Amino acid sequence: MRHFTLPVSPATVHWGYFSKKVAPALTLRSGDRATIETLTHHANDDYERMIAGDPGAESVFHWTREHKGVARRGSGPTEGPFIRGAGEGLGVHLLTGPVAIENAEPGDVLEVRILDIRPRPSCSACHAGRCFGSNAAANWGFHYHDLIEEPKPREVITIFELDTSGEPFAKAVYNYVWTPQTDPDGIVHATIDYPGVRVDHATIRKRENILTGVKVPARLHFGTMGLAPSEADYVSSIPPSYTGGNIDDWRIGKGARMYYPVAVPGAFFSVGDPHAAQGDSELGGTAIETSLTGDFEFILHKKNDLGGTAREGLAHPMLETDHAWSVYGFTYPNYLAELGVDAQTEIANRSSLDRAMRDAFRKLRRFLMTVHRLSEDEAISLMSVGADFGVTQVVDANWGVHGTIRKNVFRCD
Amino acid sequence: MSGTRVASIGPDWVEPMSFRPFTSESYARDDRLEAWRDVLAAVGLQPASASAFDDGHATASHRNAAGVALTRIAAGSQGIAPLPQSGEGLPIVLLPIEDGAMLRQGGSHRIVPVGHLLLLPRQGDWSLMFQRDMRAIILSVTAEARHGRLIGRPIASEARVVAPAGFADVFSRLLDATSRTLETLSDLEWAAIAQSLVDLLLTLAHQSTSPASEVAGTATQAATLHRICQTIERNLDNPELAPSRVAQAEGISERYLQKLFEGVGDNFSHYVRERRLQRAWSDLSNPAEAHRSISEIAYRYGFSDSAHFSRAFRHRFGLPPREFRQQEAERAAPSSIAAGQRGWPQEALAQLRTHQPSSVGRNIAAGTPTPAQEGKCEGRPAHHHLSVDASRVHWGYFSRTLAPQAEINSGDTITIETLTQHASDDPDRMIAGDPGAESVFGWSKQRKNVDRRGAGPMDASVFGRGAGEGFGVHICTGPIAVKDAQPGDVLEVRILDIAPRPSGNPHYEGRVFGSSVAAWWGYHYNEFLAGPKPREAVTIYEIFHDETPHARALYSYRWEPQTDPFGVVHTTYDYPGIPVAPGSVRRRHAVLDGIRIPLRPHFGVIAVAPRELDFVDSVPPSYFGGNLDNWRLGKGATVYLPVSVPGALLSVGDPHAAQGDGELSGTAIECSMTGTFQVILHKKGNLAGQPFADLSYPLIETATDWVLTGFSHPNYLAEFGAQGQSEVYATSSLDLAMKDAFRKMRRFLMNIKGLTEDEAIALMSAAVDFGVTQVVDGNWGVHAILSKRLFEDVATSP
Repeated sequence: MRHFTLPVSPATVHWGYFSKKVAPALTLRSGDRATIETLTHHANDDYERMIAGDPGAESVFHWTREHKGVARRGSGPTEGPFIRGAGEGLGVHLLTGPVAIENAEPGDVLEVRILDIRPRPSCSACHAGRCFGSNAAANWGFHYHDLIEEPKPREVITIFELDTSGEPFAKAVYNYVWTPQTDPDGIVHATIDYPGVRVDHATIRKRENILTGVKVPARLHFGTMGLAPSEADYVSSIPPSYTGGNIDDWRIGKGARMYYPVAVPGAFFSVGDPHAAQGDSELGGTAIETSLTGDFEFILHKKNDLGGTAREGLAHPMLETDHAWSVYGFTYPNYLAELGVDAQTEIANRSSLDRAMRDAFRKLRRFLMTVHRLSEDEAISLMSVGADFGVTQVVDANWGVHGTIRKNVFRCD
Repeated sequence: MSGTRVASIGPDWVEPMSFRPFTSESYARDDRLEAWRDVLAAVGLQPASASAFDDGHATASHRNAAGVALTRIAAGSQGIAPLPQSGEGLPIVLLPIEDGAMLRQGGSHRIVPVGHLLLLPRQGDWSLMFQRDMRAIILSVTAEARHGRLIGRPIASEARVVAPAGFADVFSRLLDATSRTLETLSDLEWAAIAQSLVDLLLTLAHQSTSPASEVAGTATQAATLHRICQTIERNLDNPELAPSRVAQAEGISERYLQKLFEGVGDNFSHYVRERRLQRAWSDLSNPAEAHRSISEIAYRYGFSDSAHFSRAFRHRFGLPPREFRQQEAERAAPSSIAAGQRGWPQEALAQLRTHQPSSVGRNIAAGTPTPAQEGKCEGRPAHHHLSVDASRVHWGYFSRTLAPQAEINSGDTITIETLTQHASDDPDRMIAGDPGAESVFGWSKQRKNVDRRGAGPMDASVFGRGAGEGFGVHICTGPIAVKDAQPGDVLEVRILDIAPRPSGNPHYEGRVFGSSVAAWWGYHYNEFLAGPKPREAVTIYEIFHDETPHARALYSYRWEPQTDPFGVVHTTYDYPGIPVAPGSVRRRHAVLDGIRIPLRPHFGVIAVAPRELDFVDSVPPSYFGGNLDNWRLGKGATVYLPVSVPGALLSVGDPHAAQGDGELSGTAIECSMTGTFQVILHKKGNLAGQPFADLSYPLIETATDWVLTGFSHPNYLAEFGAQGQSEVYATSSLDLAMKDAFRKMRRFLMNIKGLTEDEAIALMSAAVDFGVTQVVDGNWGVHAILSKRLFEDVATSP
C-alpha cells in the first residue's frame, strides 16, 4: 500500500464538470491510499473567513481583470462572448482530481473507502484555526417559488461556524440577502448564477443573532464524488447519474464505502463539494458548504471478479456503511443516455421525486434478487417491511430517492 | 451540493410568468386572511366585508402574464367583492365549477348556477356569496394586456351572467382546461393561451347583452322570486310541494307567484321538476353519494315512485339514472389507471349485486354499545379497557355519525385491543380460538357479524365486492369520545405501550403471527419482472420477542380466487376479511430464509373523525390522521390530532409489527396488537405557545424528534369537495407530498420555534430530513423530521 497526497491548486482541480479528457492529477494502483484536499465553491461568500491567507484556496479562487486562476467553470462554452463567464456555470462544483486508477476498464467497479474527513481551518489572521461554511438558499432551491415573506424571490447566504471542540456541530454566524455582484470581468451576477464570484461585503447587509440557540449536528461528507461518464467529454457536475457525482447524501462520510461502475479507462475519480452538514432533501439548494480534506482508499474490482459479491451486476452508485446498504434512485438513472443531445439542460425541466422513487425501487429489487438471491416475491415483501426510502435531494436537477436496507436483516442464526 | 440552475441561460431572473401555488397550510392562522387577500387581489377581488374568512383549508393555483391573471381556487364558504383600486380593464370573469353562487347587485339577488360565466365589473356595488365551498376559476385582464390596441370600451357597469352555450361554452372549457394545467405549461405556451383568453374575453364582453340573462323586473320582484326559489330548494323532498303553499308562506297570491315565474320565462311546476332532476343528477354523478341507492336519491327529491323518476330523468337527460351513474363513473376514469381500483371507482360501476341493501351503517351484531368502564371519580385519571369484538369496531371507514364505544376524560388512560384486517390470510393462526377475532371476522352463509367494510354503498352497487365495497379496509376499534372535546381543540394521544396479541389457537399457544400482502394497490404491481403478471402474494410471518425482537417468514402463497361465504368470488384482494381456505392456495416454505426483520411495532391508523362527510374511506390519510403508516408511531411516541367534531371520536387500528419507509408492497407485517394510550385534551383557548398550536395536520413527537406529516393533498376532502374520495387516488404524487412537508416544516419553524423564513429555510437545508412515508395509501406521504437536539442549548450530558 502506498499513500499519496493531493493538495488543491489550479493544476489539481477542475471546476463544474466531470471529464474523461482532463489529464489525471494523480495515478494510483488498486489498494493505494490518498489524502485529498477539497474546497467548497461557496468560499467566496465570505472571502475573509474562507479564502484569505490559505495559499491553496487563494490560488484556485484567484480572479482579477488580468488573470483568472481557473477560467473554465462549468461544462458550457469556453469561447466568448459569455453570458455569465467561461463554462457558463453549467456545473458549479470545485472538484479535486481526476485520480486515475491503473488498469481500470469499463465494466469494472471502483470501490472508494472514506477513511477520515477533517475540516480545513481558516488561515486569516482574525479567524485562524476556526472553520467556516456557507449555506445558500438559492434560486435552484425547492422553496424559491414558494416564499411567503418579501422580497420575493430572494437568495440568502448564511455563514456557519463549525465547532469541533467536542461532539462537532455548526452554529450560524450571520446571514445576508444576495445583492447583484460584479465580477472582475465586468459581468453582473444578479443572482447566484456563476460559481466563485467574490461577494463584495460593502454591498450586503449582514444580519447577526440568527438561529440563536440552534446547533446543527455535524455530518461531514462529500456531496460530489464520482467517475467520468463516457457519454460526453464535459459533463455538468450538477445532476448525479450512473457514475455517481453530486449525490448529496450525508451518509457518504467517514467509514463509508462507495461503489461506482467504471465507464472510461482509468476510471477518473474526482471529489469535491464538501459539506459540514446537510438534511435529507437539501431543501434550500445547498448544504453547509465547508472545505474539507479526506483520506481515501481505492480498490478496483475487475469485471470478472464481481460475480457472487455485493457488486455483481452493479450499474449505478451504491453505498455500504457499517449498518446498511443504500442504492440511489434518480429521476433519470442515466440522463445523458436517456435525454439525448440536450440532456444537460433538459434534465432540469424534468425533475421529479416520483420517477426517482420508481428508480430506487427497481434498483433495490435488483440488488436483493441478484446479490441476496431472493425471488421477486421475497424481495418485494422484504422491501415493504424492512427497507426505508428517503428523499436524498430535490435541488440537483436529477432528483434523488435512496433505498436503504439494514445489514442486520441478513444476519442468520 | 450545489449548483446553478442548468436551464434557461439569461440574465433576467425576474420571472413574470411563473406559476404560483397557494395553500393556507403555509401560514399561521393569524396570517391566513392577509395571505388570502393577496390571492384575491391578484385577480382584482377582495373578501366581501360581510363575511369573515373561514380559517379552514384554502388552495389556489395562479399564473400571470402581462396584464392577464388566471387563478383556480378551492376554499370554504365566503363572499367576494371587487377590489376598489384594481385599475382599469375588462370585466373580471368568474366561473363557479362545483356549486352555484349568489350574486348581489344593488338591492337585488340572483342565483348563478354552476357552469355559468359571470362577467363582473371592476368597480361597483356587487358581491358574490358562495354558500357552500368556493370553487371557481377567475380570469382578470387589465389594461396592460391590450398592448395599445384600439378596442371599444366594453360596458361593464352591471354584472352579467352568461349561460354555457355556444361561444361562452368554448370559452369556459378553455378556462377550465388551462387552469388545470397552469403549472406544467411552458412560458411560451402560457403566453399564447393568455393572449387567446384576452381575445375571447373581448368578443364575449362585446356581445350585446341578452335580455334572457338579465334580472327580471324590479329589484323587489327579483328579491321575492329569490326567496321563493330558496323555499323551493329547501322543500324539494316534499312530494306535496305546491304553488299555493309556497305563495302562502311568502304572503302573496298564487297568481302573483306564477306571474313572477312567467317574468323569467318559466313556470312553477316546471321549475320545481327541473330543480329536482338537477339535484338528483348531481347526486348521481357524485362518488361521495354512491353509498345511496338510486331510489333513496329519488325519494330525497320528492319522487316517491322510482319508475316515474327513472322516466322523468331519462326524458330530461336522455339516459336512465342507472346508466347515467355508470357513465359518470367511467367518464371520471383516468386512462392511466391499470389493474384494480382502490377507493371510490373511476372505472365502471361493475355488475350490480343481487343481495339486498341493508342501508343501516351499523354492524349487524351491534347491539346497544357498551361503554367501557367509566372513570368513577372526577379529577383523577381513570383507566379504561376497550376489548375488541364485532360491536366495538367499525371496518374500513371513519364516521362522525358513530356512537362512541367509550367516553373518557382528558388525562385518562385506555387500553385498546386492535385486530389486523389481514388475520383472515391465515385464520387458523390468527383468528381461531380468539373470541374477539372470531366475533369480528365471523361470517357464514347466513350471517356476517360486521357487514359494512368500507365507505361504499351497502348494496355493493359499484363493484359488487360486498357491503361497503372495501372502500377502506382497516378494522378500527372505537370510536372513543373525549369529554368536552370540541372542534378547534387538539387531542394528544400518547402511546404508552404496545403488546402483540398471541394466537388463541391452542395449537399455537403463546405464539404471534402476522401477514404481509404484496397487493394490487402496491407500488410494484404494474411492473413485475417475472410471471405470472400481475400477481398478489401473501407472506405469513412469525413474531419473536427475544432480546432482539424480530420477525421471520413462515411461508407464503400466491392469492387464488377466493369465494366468500356469501358466494362472491374475489379474484384479487379487493375486500377485507375474506377467510382464505388453506386448500385453495399452495403454501411455499423456506421463503426469506435466514432473514430477520427487526420489529417496529406501531399502529398504522390513529384517527379522529373528519368533519366533511358521514363515511370516509379509511385508506387515505389526511388532516384528521387516519392511515398514517409511519412506523415512528410506536411505544413512547405521541401524535397530536386536530379535533374536528364534538367528542373528537378517536379510533385506532391497522396494527403493524414492522414496516419500512414507503410501505412499498401495500402492507406492513400486519399483526393484531393491543395498545395502551393516554389521551389528553388541549382546549382551543390554551394552545398558544404550545408546539401543537395552530395545528392542521397530524403531528408526531418521539423522544428525539418532531415528525411532521406531509401529504399529496393535505385535506383532500376539502380540496376536491365531492370528488375527493376518488380524486385523491388519481392524483397522488411524492412531489406534491414533498411540497406539503416543506410548507408544514417552514410553518412549524417560524411559528413554533420563532425563526424567520430565511432562518427556517437554511435550517431545513442543513438539518431537517425528509423521507418517504408511504406510496400506497392513495394520499401519498412524505414526512419531515426535526431533531430536538438542534434546540438543546448545551449538550453536556455526563
